[in-house]
Formats: sequence, structure tokens, C-alpha cells
Amino acid sequence: MSAPLVLGIETSCDETAIGIVRGRTLLANEIASSVQEHARFGGVVPEIASRAHLEAMIPALDRALKSAKVSLSDFDAIAVTAGPGLVGALLVGTSTAAAIALALDKPIFGVNHLSAHISVDYLTHDDPLDPTIALLVSGGHSSILQINDITSSVTSLGSTMDDAAGEAFDKIARVMGLGFPGGPAVDLEAKSGDSNAINFPRGLTQAEDWRTRPYDFSFSGLKTAVARYLESTPQYKKADVAASFQEAIVDVLVQKSLAACTATGIENLVIAGGVAANSRLRELAKQKCEKAGVNLRIPSPGLCTDNGAMVAALGSLMSSAGRASSSVDFSASSSLSVTAVSVN
Amino acid sequence: MSALLAIDTSTSRTSVGLIVDNELIWSAYEDGATAHAEAVPRLVQKALAINNEISQVIVGMGPGPYTGLRAGIAFAQAFAWARNLEVTGVCSLDAIVCKASEYTAATDARRKEIYWAKYEGGKRVDGPHVNKPAEVIGKLFVGEGAHKYGLSAEVSYPDVSVFHLLARVDEPMYLRRPDAVPTLER
Repeated sequence: MSAPLVLGIETSCDETAIGIVRGRTLLANEIASSVQEHARFGGVVPEIASRAHLEAMIPALDRALKSAKVSLSDFDAIAVTAGPGLVGALLVGTSTAAAIALALDKPIFGVNHLSAHISVDYLTHDDPLDPTIALLVSGGHSSILQINDITSSVTSLGSTMDDAAGEAFDKIARVMGLGFPGGPAVDLEAKSGDSNAINFPRGLTQAEDWRTRPYDFSFSGLKTAVARYLESTPQYKKADVAASFQEAIVDVLVQKSLAACTATGIENLVIAGGVAANSRLRELAKQKCEKAGVNLRIPSPGLCTDNGAMVAALGSLMSSAGRASSSVDFSASSSLSVTAVSVN
Repeated sequence: MSALLAIDTSTSRTSVGLIVDNELIWSAYEDGATAHAEAVPRLVQKALAINNEISQVIVGMGPGPYTGLRAGIAFAQAFAWARNLEVTGVCSLDAIVCKASEYTAATDARRKEIYWAKYEGGKRVDGPHVNKPAEVIGKLFVGEGAHKYGLSAEVSYPDVSVFHLLARVDEPMYLRRPDAVPTLER
């Protein structure tokens, strides 16, 4: 079989995203975001996101088809995010995908949003990725994974005990009045600050933690430390706080990922998810991986945040690997485990 | 022969039907207030096994609980898109069939409220609205919401066999705004 042409649909949060790939070539990546509608609420409002998905879906599909210059009958498979995510939002995507699969009589792959974030790297790098350690960091997740085969074997080495890394960025941006979403806002503010100005705590990095939970994260102590600092230092410099806070998060993420590489003997590291777009994380990971002799891969910033190309990419890999497709009436799962690559 | 594919997910019952020459040739339903997204593809798969030649899709635009409602609408619009067909929306309350000349159709809106509309001589004369059952005045009530709140002895649901006869509705009928308070007003 030639490289499969796959349509990917992603609606797990506030982006209505459609991707089209042929094999490992990206043909279209259309995103309609409702982020501006959520900004005045300080976070994503699930019902607003779901309504926006329904409205944006068909126009986004039309744009993707047009920009990929393919016709519907050429598709080999439909892929869609089955979870984790906001259930009302997910169901707009899965219902759309099931309808297209039935209308065209094509197989459907209900795939894991988190595995998809990692597999998008296949669109930008040619050499095989597996096995690899993956650091997955987004607004909802922070995990270190061992991936032996991205289409079938993902194991979790550790994850956050409280906030996700992206959530910490959002919360700190809110208390400092930097706006929503917090990731890009903090990143921008930090550029003019001194990352060594304030020594914020690095969660779960005591000797005892390295022994008992080396790959777990905790960001709630850091969040509290920043809030206390802001209260006790009325004349604080925003840029210094942003840079020092960002450094504390990024430092722990990179340290623990490299520790996982060392412990497993795996010399590949992929960093994926929305937080992977953070410029300081990319920079520090590059420096440290070069030093450690670890082969680092981070998708381009535009493919780190939620998109449909990543879903299509995973669908394409699954189709090429001959993995079983999902039933057309598969259930979406808001809490789909990070180790479940796809659903039946 | 080509058929109209009718889908409704506005109540706890997911219904799918095939209409040929103004006649219902096949229909099926599944009950379950949180199972619409799985039920629709399952039922449509059965429908396509009966008749794969679809000329138009008609879908209930509610009012109804949002998540289930959207599963039906998202499916209908995408199926139509993929087959290059027209998709038409209807008001689901209009499809709750009653022989009386004056009645009120009501479905469950959750939060102890009902979605309702009043009909006279086969026409909708008031609604759809969303209210507490006690706030709605009427003699004869029909529908799942009416039954749930003791306004009618029998339970009935939107009937997809009449979908092709109903007035067109272009937007989902949510009737309520999303629950959310802007940060500045907290």
C-alpha cells in the first residue's frame, strides 16, 4: 500500500483543528480557536468551547480539503481524538469523524490526544523515533513516558502530582495580570527578566524524591512560593518573577527527562505538548541534551500546541503499522489513560 | 431508492429513521441520556445497511440537553458534508406528535426545568422556551419532560417519521447561555 491519506480531527479543548497527512507528509493543518471567547473568563469554558466546535467544524473541514488539494474519496482513514479532554468538546469531534467514516465507508481510528502530541514529531523528522523517552507537557498534563512503539506501547514513568505545567503558567500569569493563555504571556515577559533573580523552589528534587519518585512533578509549591513573593514584595519586577518562575519549571522538566534517559539507557528524548512551545524550555533542553549526548527532538512551535495534524499523523502511523481500527461507535473518554494509544 | 436520513438526539431517546417518498420505511432508537454519541453511529450504520442511498439529512436542532444534542447535529452536518448533501434542521418539539388541536409539548431540560412549546391547529404558537414546569400553563401536555414532572401520564418522544414535514430551523436551539462568570465580575 502506498502512504495512507488520513484526515485528523481534534476537538479536545478550545481548538477545532483539522489535519491532513499522506504518510509522513503534512498536507493541511487548519485551526479555528475559540480562545478569545474564553479570555474574559480566565480559562476555557467547556460549553462555550463545545458550541464553537460545532460552528467551526464544517468550515474548517472545507478549508483543510482545499489547502491539501485532495478529494474526500481519496482518504484511506479518518482519525480523531478520543480523549483525554473536555467530554462535550470531544464528542463534537468523534461524532463528526464517525459520520465521515460511515459516509465514505472508511476505517476510523479513535486516538489518544497525548500520543498524538508525540507522534506529530514524525512529520518533521525522518529517522525512526522509537524507542524514546517523551516529556509531555501541556495545560492538562505533565508526564514522562517511555515509548517503545508509538502505535502500541506507551508506558508512564511519572507524572505531576498536582498541577500540570501549563496550568501553573496560566495561574501565575493570572496573578501577575499577564493575561490568558499564560504560557506565551509568561514566555514573552520572561525574555526581559533575570532568571536567577529569585530562587524559586524546584518541586520533588530532594534526595528522597530522586529515590522514590524520580519522574514525578509537583508545581503547587512553586505556585504558592510565587504568590507569597508577590505579596511580600510590592515593588517586584514582573519580568524577573516571570523569568525565575519559568526557569524553576523548565529546570525540573529537563532534569527529570534526562534522568529517565540515563536510567533506561534510551538516548532519544521527544518533548511535546503545548508547553513544548516555550522558548526557554527548548533552549535549555537543547543545551543539556547536547551535553548528555541525548538526541533531542521537539516539533516546531506551531505543531506543539493542539492541532489536527498530530491526530492525522498518529492515524497514519497506525494505519501503516496495520493496527486495528476503532469501531464506529467507540466511546470517547475525558480521562483516557496516557498509556492507551487508541480506543476500540 | 434514495432516502431522507432523519436523526434526533434532543431527548434521552436517540432516534434514526429513513424516509422514502414521504413514508417512513425504517426507524430504530436507543434509550440512554448519555449515550447519544455512540448510539447515532450505531443506528445510522444499521440504516445504511437498509438503504445506503441518502439524498438529504434532517436533524433535530433541539431544544435539548447540549452535549447529546450536539452529537446528533455534529453527526448530521458531517455526514451531509462528506456525501455532499443538504442538511436541514427542525425543532424537535414540533415532532412530538399529538392528535389534539391544542397542546403543549415538553422535553426535559434538566435542572428541574422543561423545554416547551404550545401548539394550536397543527402550528407552533408559542415557544420554544425553557422554564420550571409550574410556570408553564396548559391543559394537555405531551413529551418526556411533561411525563417526568407529572403533567402527562404517558411518555412520548420526537417522532422522526414527521421530520420531513416540519418547518426549517437553522441554528441549534440552546435557549440558555453557557454558565460562566467573567473574571472581572467574580
